Parts: sequence; C-alpha cells; structure tokens
Amino acid sequence: MIRDRHVRYLKAVWIGTIILLLYIPIVSVVLVSLANTRYMRFPHRVWSLDAYREAVDSFTTWSIHLVSLQMALCVVIMAVVLGTLGAMAFARYDWHGRSVFQRLIVLPIFFPQPVLGLALLLSFSALGITPGWKTAVIAHAVWIVPIVTLVISIRLFGYDVAQEEAAFDLGASRWQVAREVTFPALWPGIFSGALFAFLLSWSNLPLSIFTSGADTPLPVWLFSRTATNYSPLVPAVAVIGTVISALLVILLLVLRRLFRRA
Amino acid sequence: MATVTPEGGTAVPALSLQEITRRFGALTAVDAVTLDIAEGEFFTIVGPSGSGKSTLVRLLAGLEVPTAGTLLLRGEDITRQPANQRPTAMVFQSLALFDHRSVGQNIEFAMKMKGVAPPARRERALELLSLLRLPRDYYDRAVTQCSGGERQRVAMARALASDPEILFFDEPLSALDYRLRKTLEVELKELHQRTGKTFIYITHSLEEAMVMSDRIAIMQDGRFVQVGTPQDIYQRPRNRFVAGFMGEVNILEIRGRGESARFAGLDLPAPEVAGAYAVLRPEALQAGDGGSVRFDADIVQRLMLGSRTQYHLRVGDLALIAEIGAGVGNLMEPGQRTRFSFDPDDIAWVAE
Repeated sequence: MIRDRHVRYLKAVWIGTIILLLYIPIVSVVLVSLANTRYMRFPHRVWSLDAYREAVDSFTTWSIHLVSLQMALCVVIMAVVLGTLGAMAFARYDWHGRSVFQRLIVLPIFFPQPVLGLALLLSFSALGITPGWKTAVIAHAVWIVPIVTLVISIRLFGYDVAQEEAAFDLGASRWQVAREVTFPALWPGIFSGALFAFLLSWSNLPLSIFTSGADTPLPVWLFSRTATNYSPLVPAVAVIGTVISALLVILLLVLRRLFRRA
Repeated sequence: MATVTPEGGTAVPALSLQEITRRFGALTAVDAVTLDIAEGEFFTIVGPSGSGKSTLVRLLAGLEVPTAGTLLLRGEDITRQPANQRPTAMVFQSLALFDHRSVGQNIEFAMKMKGVAPPARRERALELLSLLRLPRDYYDRAVTQCSGGERQRVAMARALASDPEILFFDEPLSALDYRLRKTLEVELKELHQRTGKTFIYITHSLEEAMVMSDRIAIMQDGRFVQVGTPQDIYQRPRNRFVAGFMGEVNILEIRGRGESARFAGLDLPAPEVAGAYAVLRPEALQAGDGGSVRFDADIVQRLMLGSRTQYHLRVGDLALIAEIGAGVGNLMEPGQRTRFSFDPDDIAWVAE
C-alpha cells in the first residue's frame, strides 16, 4: 500500500514536470509580452498591455499574419490534393516502381530544413524566379506534402478496397463510389493531414527564412525582430499568432464534431 | 436458349455462360467455360485456390470483362455490361461492408443509389433485418460493433436490398469458425428457399457445397471437371481430383487394367474404365462379413469423430480408412486384427 502511494506520487510528479516543461515557454512568452521594457526581465516592475495595443494598431502585425495565413492556406490545398493522390499511389495501387516512389516521397522529410531552404533558394535564383511568399509556399510544400501523404496513406492501409467494388456492384457510378465510399473512408486522414499542413506551414521558420524574399511571414518577422530591435511587441505578436492558430484548430475540431452528428 | 426443365417444360436459363474465357497475360484463369444455370437454382462452384473460381464469379458479376465468350442473363447479352448496371449482387469474401456507415445505411446503399426515398428505404431495410433474423434496433448500430455472424447477415441483407435477379457469394463463410459456418450454411439454404432467387456460390469446401447446393461444379485450372448434383459427385466422381476433393477417401490404384483387378489378394470385378483407380468411401467399409469382398486388416489408429468412429487400417502395405457409425457394433481397439468387407457396387471407378 505504501509502495503504491509512492508510485502514484512519483507518477504525479513526473507528469507534472513534463507538463510544466512543455508549457513554461508559452507562459513565459505571455509574461514578457505584458512588460514595457526592451529587456526580457522578470518579475516586471510595470505590467502593461501597451504591446498588444501597439500590435493591433500596427499595419505590420496584420500584414505578417496575412502573409502567413495565405501561405498556410495554399500549402493546405496543395498538400491535401497532392497528398491524397500521392497516398493512392503510395498505398492503394500496386504499380511498377511503387517501392522506389515510396522511398523517394519520404526523403525530403529527412533533409535538414535549412539545407533544403538554401537549396531551393539557389534553384529559384538559378531559374530566375524572384523569391516571395509564393516560392515559400513551394518550399513548404516540398517538405509538407510528403508528411501529409504519409498521414493519408495510414488511412488507406487499413482500408478494404473491396468496399469500392461492393458499391459499384450495388449500382453506384464511379463518381458515386468516390463520393460515397472512398472519400468518407479517407476523410479522417485528409482532415488530420490538412491540420498538420496548416500548423507546419504557419510555424515554419527555416524554409521561409530562405525562400520568402521580400514578403515576411510571421515566424520570420519574430526571428528577425528578436535578433535585432526587440521590444515587447515581439512576444505580443507571438501570442496573437499562437491564439489565432489555436482558435482555427478548435474551430475545425468543433466543425467536425457538428458535421459528424449531422 | 431453351433448356428442358425436369418437369418437361422449357425455360430460359437464369444465366447462360458460353465459352467464357479470361486470360491474364499468359495465364488462362477461366478457360472456355460453358454452362446454363436455371432460374432459382443454388449453384456452387468448388475449387482449390488458383482454380479460377473467383475470377469466374467476378466475370459473372461484371467486375471483370471476359477475354472471349458470351454471357446471357435470361437470354439477354450482358457480356459487356458493367457490374453497376447488372441486376445482380455479390457478397464478398471480405464482406466489404462500409465501415463508416451504420447497419441500416449499409443495407440501404443500393436503394439510395437508385434514388428510393428515405422512408421506403428504411422500411425495406427493417424488413431485410427481420428476414436475416437480426433485431430491428441493429438498424442504427455501427457495422464495426457487429460480430462476425452478424456482419455476415448484414452483407447478405445489403446484397438482397438491391433486389437482384442473381446473388453471388464469393467464399463469404471462409473466415468464420466451424460452428458459425455450419449455422450459416443452413440459414443460407433457408434464405435461398424463402427468396426463391438464383444463388451462385463459390467455395473451396466440397462439404459446404454439398449441404447447400442443387448442383455443384468442380473447377480445376480454369475448367469445370465435373458438374452435377451433390449425389452425382459424391457417388460418381469423374476423376481422382474430384474424388480427392471430398476429403478422406480411399483411392486404390488397381493393377491389371481391363482384366479382373486384384485387391489385397482378392479378385475385384473388372474396372469400368481403363487405367483405373477404385474410389472407396470410408463408410463403404464395414466391420464383419457383410460385404462380398472380405479381408483382414490391422487397426492402426482409432479416432472418435462424434457421430462416427474412424479407423485407420493396414492391409499388407495398403493404408485404408474406414468409418463406422457410432452405435454400430462394438468399438474396436488399435492393434486388433479384424475382418472388414465391402460391396463392389460401392466402388466408384475413375481414370486419372
């Protein structure tokens, strides 16, 4: 009994420590955003929401969020379309060269992102393409599409293809088979793939920093303003960015719940 | 395409296969199969894996297109008609239930595709649930929560819901345990009688085929080796392959073809076919002097099978299997030397 209690106690400490380590960074960002000094110091002498006021009033805050948002949305669309098709080729159909394809597709994931970013920047300039948010979208896609392909493939591996034949046999057209059977079966994979794509793009620094050119997505702005010219505006914008992505995720999950009930 | 019915009338067959062939590259999976299946018949195709039986049923269902040959449904050419336009439905080996849908939605699928209104769909689905002896409240249950036997019944209800002229079954019971399989075999037979539809059933088990079928076709290497009633096939297998398919039988190679054959030093009547094998069913051997061909055998092994007892015998260098009904005579002990006999009429002669 005493040993049991010790074990339970140790378990609680262990879990508590992990949660603390996970959330300290986020909490500390919130804390520093509430200061009015240029130096990250704690405890604050003055608590202030000035940084948030400044952030909301500033055009830059809106523009970096918009850049990141439009990039993330483009990446989501590309990743879902290419990822679904790729997953079909990866897991659904048996074709000549499939095993080579399966290896090639996961390769970019193992590439260090800064190296990938540099390589892509060099390729873009070799092709005479001016870097901007669109090139950054392509850079994100190179890294994110394989991940989403894998996420959707996992759904396909546990999927009985005979379901499609059964639907066809019961009078469904090819289009109805896709709509009534294939898509609903793949939907959970597509949903989590899209969520992954959004969050990975929204928070990506190493690829964006090389390839976004004159456009500044949120993580690049945070990084450069922390390196030079830091003010509490930086953590305030970081908090706003985190809240936005969290709200989007919650909204999507709630929508899915409602969708499922209906 | 008129055939003579047993009653002496003529009828158009439900399904008529004419030289149906399917090749995959160099492999001929189905080799010029010709067959008429009568309206309302329970027809079973039996064969080992790789015999082409699954390809054949997929051709009949419209999931594959034949390389050559013609397929007529009630006299109408449907050779090139895809599965979604054929008035047939299939119960798949994996069942292929839609896992993201409820039992009710699974059953209603074909009606939904036809554009039947939801209330009518629901009513028909509930009817089918009771036809398949599933409780009505299964309508809203997730198929993933159903047991193996229940899933089986849902798959059958789903196929019946499209109101098909012909139902195909591609080894649907093969994944189930022995007892459940036996129960469902009987239920399938009853379902066939109640619906009056034409059933075409695929299995690798001749035993399963015997229980349910009006006629059986034995398939090997893309061809039908023998087509007949269960009794025909049981009593008069055409060759060693068919005989061997029935499970444990005694197949004796008879020396002295054409002349009077000898067995364990005994004279047998002359074989009916050249190069003959004598197929002797285990239950044709009886203990004692009841049959006209008598011999002494050593009992090597005794297996209790419930309704009958199986004895493994040795006569000289010949191994035989005998099965005696439970309650017939006394149990004999291994090691005992015993008189056995059989009737020559019980021999089925087969060539190779």
